[in-house]
Amino acid sequence: MGFSPGNRGGGGFGGRKSFGSDGGGRGGRGGGSRGGFGDRRGGGRGGFGGRGGGGGRGGFGGRGGGGRGGGGRGGRGGGGGGFKGGKTVIVEPHRHEGVFVARGKEDALVTLNLVPGSEVYGEKRISVENDGNKIEYRVWNPFRSKLAAAILGGVDAIHMAPGSRVLYLGAASGTTVSHVSDIVGPEGLVYAVEFSHRSGRDLINVAKKRTNIIPIIEDARHPHKYRMLIGMVDTIFADVAQPDQARIVALNAQYFLKNGGHFVISIKASCIDSTAQPEAVFASEVRKLQADKLKPQEQITLEPYERDHAVVVGLYKPPPKN
Amino acid sequence: MVKLFALFEHAAGYGIFKVQEFEEIGIISPQLEASINNFPQFNSIVQLVSFSPFKTAVAALDNINAISEGVLPEDLQNFLDITVPKKKSVTLGVSDPKLGAAITEALAIQCSHVGAVPEIMRGIRHHFHNLINGFTLKSSGTAQLGLGHSYSRAKIKFNVHRADNMIIQSIALLDQLDKDINTFSMRIREWYSYHFPELVKVVPENYTYAKLVKLIKNRKDLTEESLDSLEEITMDSGKAQAILSAARSSMGMDINPIDLLNIEMFASRVISLTEYRKQLSEYLKSKMSDVAPNLGQLIGEQVGARLIAHAGSLTNLAKYPASTVQILGAEKALFRALKTRGNTPKYGLLFHTTFIGRAGTKNKGRISRYLANKCSIASRIDCFTEVPSQVFGEKLRQQVEDRLKFYETGEAPKKNIDVMKEAIEEVHQLNAAQKKKKKKKKTASEALSNGDETNANGSLNADEDHVPKKKKKKRNIEESVDNAEIDTSVSEPPKKKKKKNKSE
Ligand SMILES: C[S@@+](CC[C@H](N)C(=O)[O-])C[C@H]1O[C@@H](n2cnc3c(N)ncnc32)[C@H](O)[C@@H]1O
Repeated sequence: MGFSPGNRGGGGFGGRKSFGSDGGGRGGRGGGSRGGFGDRRGGGRGGFGGRGGGGGRGGFGGRGGGGRGGGGRGGRGGGGGGFKGGKTVIVEPHRHEGVFVARGKEDALVTLNLVPGSEVYGEKRISVENDGNKIEYRVWNPFRSKLAAAILGGVDAIHMAPGSRVLYLGAASGTTVSHVSDIVGPEGLVYAVEFSHRSGRDLINVAKKRTNIIPIIEDARHPHKYRMLIGMVDTIFADVAQPDQARIVALNAQYFLKNGGHFVISIKASCIDSTAQPEAVFASEVRKLQADKLKPQEQITLEPYERDHAVVVGLYKPPPKN
Repeated sequence: MVKLFALFEHAAGYGIFKVQEFEEIGIISPQLEASINNFPQFNSIVQLVSFSPFKTAVAALDNINAISEGVLPEDLQNFLDITVPKKKSVTLGVSDPKLGAAITEALAIQCSHVGAVPEIMRGIRHHFHNLINGFTLKSSGTAQLGLGHSYSRAKIKFNVHRADNMIIQSIALLDQLDKDINTFSMRIREWYSYHFPELVKVVPENYTYAKLVKLIKNRKDLTEESLDSLEEITMDSGKAQAILSAARSSMGMDINPIDLLNIEMFASRVISLTEYRKQLSEYLKSKMSDVAPNLGQLIGEQVGARLIAHAGSLTNLAKYPASTVQILGAEKALFRALKTRGNTPKYGLLFHTTFIGRAGTKNKGRISRYLANKCSIASRIDCFTEVPSQVFGEKLRQQVEDRLKFYETGEAPKKNIDVMKEAIEEVHQLNAAQKKKKKKKKTASEALSNGDETNANGSLNADEDHVPKKKKKKRNIEESVDNAEIDTSVSEPPKKKKKKNKSE
């Protein structure tokens, strides 16, 4: 069964593709309920300025997102405003286990802070009182994290439930890693691989506070160098932004990804081939993955949070069906 | 018939496993694949022979450092030697062909990393905590966590000797101490002057004064015999004599022993505080020579430390454009000037260097700008270099001196590009010399692979900074401070360019 590109009206995201055998009907399901919070206000995101200041962001109408109202990508104020009064904010579980949505003046994606009282990269925190217990959440900004963007984009599954083990390639300073660490919780583990020493320093400091992160400063192209540090994992998340990312993921999967485990990779078209059409790049990356027993199941683009980015989710060596 | 063993390296130690014998290795794969999610089934194919845990965290780190480079560590060699039978028919499955070759060479054990081996390794990884007695998923994770931290830390060389926060603290403390010592000294003077008002006039200096108070106590007890010890403190026989005669004819009031005791106690505090301040300033000096040797060399340790403290860290300072460095510490004046459209300040903290004072009035601004440029270069070198040296600082300092001379006499200074070439040359020589030393040490120390590995960091390091260091540093700088680059080049465009070209 082939692709079934389906443009959902819902969250106003761009193209979304399903792979595999469970029917092409996927694209049509659910409409708005899947996209982020459902009630996204256009105004929240409009307005230019702030980040990058470029008016250019608004104008990609031609590609992908049919349903997108020409909202420019505005300041990152989105996650911000007015989370102080603990009473006005209600936190609800998100469809993905371990992820939450804070509903206040504006909705925001949040994760349960593994280390209450401390922030990682200057993100906002929300305390909610629950039967006298204080619970703290950290706001997860989709403009700074591709995984958050994918979740708001309505990705079907992230395969990082509490208690799971995740190999994270391209951990950088630990921004997204810290949220994954929140999601998998104290019973889970995040193996965070990053080869830049500069970011690695920050990553180690994040890992010092969050003991479910195992920092590995090494090149993800050489998994044999860090084979002693990693056990079998349930999921590989890759965001290395390298032209040979597919190969990097395949190599790591061969070592560390269990049969029937999943991969979630973010593909930045311009990192792989800046001359080709993004769609063509995504398609060729998907083919590369398929060649390595990495079976893509779903693909979404990250508009409006990132341009020319896709996230591909898939399955590795599924156990034979009996 | 082949007997297949498998070596599995874990953060907690080495495991050697025996794989069930098969007629043909080809048959094994489908069975393995099928069993991989089922422990009893897997265990019927693959069994533990022996597990050798790492004795200490240090040993674990040594071992992973060797393993990740494909070198056979001594621990592993010994373990394999006693565990794996050395027969022609035995093959050892390994994850890394390079390590396999090393094992074959050292122990004459045949190794393989292909065929069914990768799948076996996957299986062992999956079931490791079940295969080893007393192991759990949790304890396996704990071992990985510990080793992951130490491995990664060693990689990025968290250098405790180069922690700039120590500098920031100590310069702040130094300033605080100066203030405190000053107020305390005023207090002592006032207090003791009830009893001996003339002493201040003879000895106005704080530290000496406090010491004298402690020595003299009741001025009426001063005699000719006290002269020696007075002189010891004042270092001046005239002053000692003056103190004695002043004491005899003093207008001060009498004092009772209890009051005196308290004054004395306080004086001791001030004395020890002053001595502590001296120590602290020595400490700061040595710290600066570790953290920012070039900056320290260029403008002196204290001013250098102030710049770092003001910027918040050496990295921050390195990111600033030179124009910001120039007026660092004069923000108030700057914003006032911007508001009133007056003249912007010419210097901030840099005023405290000797250079500004030595320049003529009309050249003060110029030399300050020039100095700021050099400071910004020095701080970048200090921030991004891997092997600190003072060479650049010395050269930069000389350049500032030459520039001052140029203002005075018109004598043309050396071209920047030549000076920097010289500096790079010197750094290379220095590094080469160090490398030699290291090599000698290395051959002297145990020639075992283990010894090799422990030095690997060091020698790698030296290799790196031999040639590519410069480039690398540049790249780093450009990456992180492209803003800064632009700004500096505005204030001194040709210099900056040249420097870059030459270093590429
Ligand atoms: C786009 S950033 C990842 C951002 C991160 N996922 C987040 O959201 O916080 C890509 C990172 O991958 C790292 N990287 C690139 N190539 C790598 C490699 N071969 N091995 C390990 N890390 C790599 C880069 O240093 C960079 O920090």
